[in-house]
Amino acid sequence: MNTRRWLLAALLLAGLGISGCATVHPWDRDLLAKKSMRFVPLPHETAVDDHIYFSKEGSTGGMDAAGGGCGCN
Amino acid sequence: MTPRWQLETTGLIYGEESRATVVEPVGRLTRLFENGRALSLGLTLDAITGASPTGALPTGQVVTTTSASGHTTTSSADATPTHPFQDFRGAVDLGWEEPLGTLVNATTSAHYSQEKDYASLGGGLKTSVDLLNRRFTLTVGGGVNRDRVFPVGGTAQGLASDTAARIPGDNPKQVVTGLVGLSHVMSRRWLMGVTASQARETGYLTDPYKVISLVDPVTQLPVAQVTEKRPSERKRADVLGSSVYHLEHDILYVNYRYYWDDWGVRSHTVDVKVRHDLSETSWLQPHVRLYGQSPAQFYVFGLTHGPPLPEFASADERLGPLRTATVGATYGFHVPGSPGEFTVRGEYILQWLVGQSAPQAANTTVGGNGLRGAAQAAGDDQGGGGRPFGTNIGSLLIGYTVAF
Repeated sequence: MNTRRWLLAALLLAGLGISGCATVHPWDRDLLAKKSMRFVPLPHETAVDDHIYFSKEGSTGGMDAAGGGCGCN
Repeated sequence: MTPRWQLETTGLIYGEESRATVVEPVGRLTRLFENGRALSLGLTLDAITGASPTGALPTGQVVTTTSASGHTTTSSADATPTHPFQDFRGAVDLGWEEPLGTLVNATTSAHYSQEKDYASLGGGLKTSVDLLNRRFTLTVGGGVNRDRVFPVGGTAQGLASDTAARIPGDNPKQVVTGLVGLSHVMSRRWLMGVTASQARETGYLTDPYKVISLVDPVTQLPVAQVTEKRPSERKRADVLGSSVYHLEHDILYVNYRYYWDDWGVRSHTVDVKVRHDLSETSWLQPHVRLYGQSPAQFYVFGLTHGPPLPEFASADERLGPLRTATVGATYGFHVPGSPGEFTVRGEYILQWLVGQSAPQAANTTVGGNGLRGAAQAAGDDQGGGGRPFGTNIGSLLIGYTVAF
């Protein structure tokens, strides 16, 4: 079952690769250069949210590889 | 002049209806060097007070609970029993970002946090490589935490009477994480990314303060309670898909995460935000997040009094068939004549448990409906399959970011 899930993830990654035919030239990157066009545009909000949901739900994970705290209560 | 410093500050006020209240100030100062190097120092303080569910079912009687530190609370007959607590957490983290040439970026981080009953020491490494004319970015990272758990009043023996003697001392816990991600510039206005991560936790993973009700098989009412016990290993994995799309004026952020672990928890998370510029100096960002998880294999509402107990069991609702819905909005603005950006965010979070047959009473003979019946007999007026353990949560987050 786990193998299937990782295969799905690999397919998604491969999908990104296949769709990479369109070229975006450096002079077309005006919108992409905005700070608000990042995956995490407000890192301070995301950090707070990660801590809230880590303490309140059974799942963790996402963009970063480390964390800390008990979350017991 | 290029800014040499950046300061990010936030203040969180978080409140659960009849439960915990959290006040959390956070500050991060970053020194920006030439050629992209950056050193950051973050400080977080958490002051938590209030009450947390014990895991026990409503008893049908008024209950007074005393915490290990001597605080007491009283629960009404139909209320979910809670234990009072008060904690203060301090955390410090350091980060160093180092460009390696023009296409590779490496980030090293370390953190330490300490609270009354828990300490966490950890570090991580993350490297990103831009590929194919910067149309792709490949990220690989990992981290290790070496934590210690030292419950107030000592460590309870698992699945033993909650009044049994507790063992003093520390319990080690280790977390090893790894991730790989790929992001891609799909078009002039569209970014997409996929990140897969895995974590392995070992050591003391039990919640030292949670208990489980023992239910009389005839009356279906709680008659006693035992401490909970979880396995000493947990393997977690998740895949996160992210999209950022620049519409004509607005920006649409969509994230979807699928999570699974070897305790049997599976979850889906969808998170959508839209940033709408109100003027050149202000913007509004509505936010919706929906979350649903399946229960862990050893999750129970309660256990039958009498038969042998299972090897592992927990009534912690965070390991149950939990749902979370979040709605809110962030308002961002610049004050004329002063540097930096302010943000104010308000959010409402609703959490509840679902499923008539959700309780998996391990090796007991009492089915889920029986235990649900016990909760209802004890005065739960929310109805079966509704949200007998639902929680209303509100939060206010104020932020200020400035470069100088």
